[in-house]
Amino acid sequence: MFSLLYRMVRDRALAEDLAQETFIKVLNGIKSYRPEFKFSSWIFKIANNAAIDHLRRKSIDTLSLDGAPSAETPEQMRATSLQLGDRTESPLAEVENRELGTAIERAIARLRPEYRSCILLRHVEGYSYEEIADTLELPLGTVKTYIHRARNELRGFLADRRD
Amino acid sequence: MTDISMHLNTDEIELWAQGLLPAVRAMHLADCSLCRVEAERERKVILELVQLPKFAPRAGFADRVMAQVKVPTPSGDWTA
Repeated sequence: MFSLLYRMVRDRALAEDLAQETFIKVLNGIKSYRPEFKFSSWIFKIANNAAIDHLRRKSIDTLSLDGAPSAETPEQMRATSLQLGDRTESPLAEVENRELGTAIERAIARLRPEYRSCILLRHVEGYSYEEIADTLELPLGTVKTYIHRARNELRGFLADRRD
Repeated sequence: MTDISMHLNTDEIELWAQGLLPAVRAMHLADCSLCRVEAERERKVILELVQLPKFAPRAGFADRVMAQVKVPTPSGDWTA
């Protein structure tokens, strides 16, 4: 669950805060758990909601490696893009650069948050499409579409790197 | 029964990448370079994803969480 949060927000301290918030919600709200759901899915659902809420609140989703969606010129894209290589000001930032600086991690960071959740749950956490649909409360067809599009985009990003 | 000459769909390509595609459909790859290239590209991405490391929070994370969790006292009250 921490891995998902960390890859969603790309900030160790923030991911830890969100993980802490998630577990506190889980443990304090254990009475609202419905046993027809997998316990781990319930936790992932709360964690993912926390990450998405945070990204929406802070508009970090618009700070992709390519810049904000509204950026139309190369200058605007540069000004609004997430500069991973510049984050060398602290030891923690160095750790983050090392952990999330590989080509595949950078490619994942360029995905839309909802694609990112789906692809991470599918291929990193090993969830089935149906479990992802339950966890994220999305129609099964939407989950499949997101995952296929995410993989296509990742292939494109990774191909760009190789060119 | 699926025609062996039909191209693999995205679900089938994912199954093939995981070694789970039924042999009768996998045979299509031997004859179709289009599907073979597509499937190989997909396999590379999936392989990179499944090999991603798991991360863990800093030491003491559980203690920090439990310090903020309300636990019931013998009297039935809840305390942090």
